[in-house]
Amino acid sequence: MHTCKEAIELLAAYLDGELPPAQKQALEEHLGACAPCVDFVATYRQTPGLCKKALEAKMPKDLADSLSAFLRKHTAA
Amino acid sequence: MSDASDEELLRRARNNDTAAFEELVGRSRDRVFGVALRILHSEAEAAEVAQETFLSAWRSLGQLSGDQFSHWVHRIAANRALMRLRHQKVANQVEESIESPKFNARGSLIESVADWAPTAEGASLDAELRRAIEEASQSLPESARQVFLLHDVEGLDYQQISEITKDSVAALKSRLHRARLAMRAAIDRFYAEKGSEP
Repeated sequence: MHTCKEAIELLAAYLDGELPPAQKQALEEHLGACAPCVDFVATYRQTPGLCKKALEAKMPKDLADSLSAFLRKHTAA
Repeated sequence: MSDASDEELLRRARNNDTAAFEELVGRSRDRVFGVALRILHSEAEAAEVAQETFLSAWRSLGQLSGDQFSHWVHRIAANRALMRLRHQKVANQVEESIESPKFNARGSLIESVADWAPTAEGASLDAELRRAIEEASQSLPESARQVFLLHDVEGLDYQQISEITKDSVAALKSRLHRARLAMRAAIDRFYAEKGSEP
């Protein structure tokens, strides 16, 4: 049985499906008996998606217009 | 915007059809600008990277195999933004400086998780949460921030990132885990503070 610290160290490999069977089983045994780690895993899983949403960016219109003008100038035959 | 596929536009662009190329640029512009902006934190520099990227793409259209124009320019932009960043500063922060969960002497978690329910799948993000995430990503050590942005935000796989950063896949995985822990902690802190507001 893992400690929380050991379990959290293995999370990325676990979620990527890269843990050897014995380690996977030990981690799942820990998660089955540790509510704080279950909450931790749930929020760890949500983190990439939230960050992706938060960091989305659109090119502002003035910069997009400048880019178009620049490329027209440099791609003209 | 036309209904033409990227493949069709690419075929026309290779025959010097600048209108087709401009359409391809329009389809991938935000993605290219976005990756450069997240790496460089400067709209002006990100716009320069976008210019360099698309000009380089125009000049190398013949070398592009397949029809993945968007993926191709996305990787060129990530590469160019990282090269600029390396010129600007040396990544000198050690990984131990990244925030980690708190454990007691027996290795048990000693922190409780806040209520993240407000971020149900599909919900729009609170502007304050967006700002908290932006600030947390900017305070990550550079090497961890790079892999976090390229993998979790830009969707590149470890092998692609390794080709760009020249780091081993094992090192990238370790840094990504540290970065996720720090980002998770920042989001959790945001909700804990929000939950304690009157």
